[in-house]
This record gives sequence, structure tokens and C-alpha cells, in this order.
Amino acid sequence: MNPDSTRLQDLLALTARGDHGAFAELYERTHAHLFGVALRMLGGEHAAEDVLQEAFVSVWRSAALYHPRVQGQEIQPMTWLIAIVRNKALDALRLRTRRKESELPDVEEAAEESSQSGPSSSALELLQQAAAALQIQECMNALDGSHRQSLALAYYQGLSHSEVAQHMGAPLGSVKAWIRRGLEKLKTCLAGQGGAA
Amino acid sequence: MRYSDPRLVDQLAAAYALGTLTPRARARFERLRRDRTDVDLAVAAWEERLGRLAQSVAPARPSARVWRAIEARTRILAASPAKSSGAGWFKLGGTGLAGIVAGFAAAVALVMAAPALIVSTDQVAMRSGEKLPQSYVGLLTDSKGDGKLLVSSLRRGKVMTIKVIGAIEPPAAGHLVLWAVPPDEPAFALGTVPTSGTRTTLLPDSSEKLLIAVRKLVVTVETSEAPTAPGTVLFSGNCAKLW
Repeated sequence: MNPDSTRLQDLLALTARGDHGAFAELYERTHAHLFGVALRMLGGEHAAEDVLQEAFVSVWRSAALYHPRVQGQEIQPMTWLIAIVRNKALDALRLRTRRKESELPDVEEAAEESSQSGPSSSALELLQQAAAALQIQECMNALDGSHRQSLALAYYQGLSHSEVAQHMGAPLGSVKAWIRRGLEKLKTCLAGQGGAA
Repeated sequence: MRYSDPRLVDQLAAAYALGTLTPRARARFERLRRDRTDVDLAVAAWEERLGRLAQSVAPARPSARVWRAIEARTRILAASPAKSSGAGWFKLGGTGLAGIVAGFAAAVALVMAAPALIVSTDQVAMRSGEKLPQSYVGLLTDSKGDGKLLVSSLRRGKVMTIKVIGAIEPPAAGHLVLWAVPPDEPAFALGTVPTSGTRTTLLPDSSEKLLIAVRKLVVTVETSEAPTAPGTVLFSGNCAKLW
């Protein structure tokens, strides 16, 4: 385990005991990456900041639930934190979708969304960059492009099945199958690299 | 749905971690995750896999007001008597002793009266919020039978909560220590005991592993920082499985 992960584990353990200084250091060490993840999913800074805030309040409350190993399976602290941020971002995205379906959009939210420039890298580019860094690019390239695209949109932009289908102009059933195969392939590729099988 | 099929559980865990489950399916799966370790493990494995894809996302700097807001909210939480350890923790704050005992007895009676229904009743009742989560609990009394401490920990959790429910005189010297007493093995210390309020302690392992064979809990006064065996017993009680 790298020194950063060890330190983050220590900080989470101290946070669980109510050490606010450790919690502040945990924020300092991780917030930029976590904010990047939230920003990528939500698009607007305001919404991403709200999610980051909710995520860290949740971390303060539930740090004791983090365990470095669960039945022999190693859980990286950053992975645990990313999952919290993604779940909060997904909640925000689904709430936004429900609002759009039932109400007039919030003025500030609408303004923020309209002011957003497109993401600097496409979701597919991010998936390819991650695959290259994880040395599973060749393995993942065995997947059809549409499979990778749908997986990337769901992961990096938090799109639901129907939103991915709409985005790609593809039937919902096909998108569900593509994403499922994409996930299976990811699992196989990571297992081949010694990741969680 | 056949949640006993590991392949289905893995597929659902993947969809949950990715975020593609519908809101209703997501809420249903979260309840299943809380109830079943295998489901929780499958989700953790997928979060680990998918979390690695996030490394290509560029970091960004939020406004300084984000930390100020987090700090303000968490400082308030930290100032409360006991730092909450998550939504799933066994909480009994504000409940009187009679209510605690009655609730505990009712839960035990339910299990004793309908063992064949344990799994389904438990799952259904927990999900509907009518039943306490699977936990180890202990009600410790003094030699007169007066309630002094309520000890609780989620079955698969690693945090133990000790709540003082009756007046406790602070010891003139030393400190109070809670011990688990297995029937065929030496007693082992679980943590120090407060003389008022509530204290949460991080256990070295899950309650399930530590307490599965434990039937009795005792509290002693110890002067050593790391006592190896319990001294004179002040309070005692049974360690019960609440499921």
C-alpha cells in the first residue's frame, strides 16, 4: 500500500474517533480529486460544491464504517471516498431529473447549466486514459466502441440507462446490454492485472 | 427476485456502484445491502473496480466556502454528546430504562416465539423500520439489580456504544473497564466505561467475531492502563444477540 493510502487510513480512523484536525487534513488531501469527480458528473461548480459538502459531512458521521480490509478484500480509502461522492452526485442528478420532469427549472440551476462549457475531455476519452493508466487499454479495446462509450457515460457523467440511450440515440435494451458487457469486461481486465476480481 | 443467486447479486452490485439502477431499485438494493454481508462485499468490490477509473478525472479546486460550511456543520456535530457513527447505528438516546427493557424483551420474545420466522420477520420488520437491527446488546446491573449500563454494537459493526442508564459513582482510583466473558476462554477487555453519558469505542474486530461466544459482560475497576484479567466485579449482565 502506498504511503498516501496508509495516511488516509490513519486519518479516517482518527476522524471516526472525533479528531477534527485529522478530518481537516483528510479534506485537504482529497478534496481536489473528489471535487473533480463531482464536477465531472454534475457539470456545474455550485452543484458539485453542494455534493462535496454533503459527502464530507457524511464522511465525518460515518468514518467508523470504513474498514481497510473486508473479508480479505482490500478497500482503498480513496475508493471509499469516491463512492460516497459518486453516490451523493447520483442522488443530486436523479433529483434534478425528477425536478425537470415535474417542475419549472430552478433559475440559478438553469443559468449554471447554460453557462457550462463542454467537458474538457469526453467521457470516452477519460475511460481510455484510465484504461491506459491501469494498463488494461488493450483488454478494454476488445470491447465494441458503443459498449465503452455507454459505460463511460454512465460512470463519468452519472447518466441513467435511459439517458445514455437518449444520448447515444440507441434502444434502451441495447444500452443495458452494452453496459452490462462493459462492466463484465472491466472486471475481467482488472482481474488480469491483479485488481479486485 | 432470486437474490440468492450470486451472479445476480454481482450484476446488481455492479449496476448499483455504477449508478444505473432506477431510484426505486436503488433504494431496494440499499436495504438489501444493509441486511446482507455478501451483498455489501459485492458492492465494495465493484466500488473498488470503478473507483480506479476516476484517476483520469482532473482535480479541481472548489471555493473556500465549501470547507467553511463543512467545518461549521461538523463542529456542531462534534459538540453533541456522542459523535454519531452512521445511520445504521443502534440508537437509544432519550429512551427510558423501562422502554429499553420492554423493547429488548419484546424483540427477544419475538425471536423465541417464532423461530421459523426469524429470517423473514427480521428482514421485513427491519426494512419497515419496526425492528432494531441485528446487534449484540448487554444490560448491566449492579448487585441490587438496578440498571447501570446499556452496551450495544451492530452484529457486523466495529463500533460499540456504552450508554450510562443509572447513576454511577466515579471510582476513587483507576477507571471502569468493560469485559467480555466467554464461557471457556479468558475474559478480554472491550474498553473503558464512562460514568455518565454515552461513549463509543472502536473495536479491534467485528462484534460478530469478538462476541459470538460471549454470554456475559462485566464491569470492574482497574488501576492498570492495560489490565489482563478482570478484578472485582461492579456490574454484570448477559450479552445477548438481538436477532
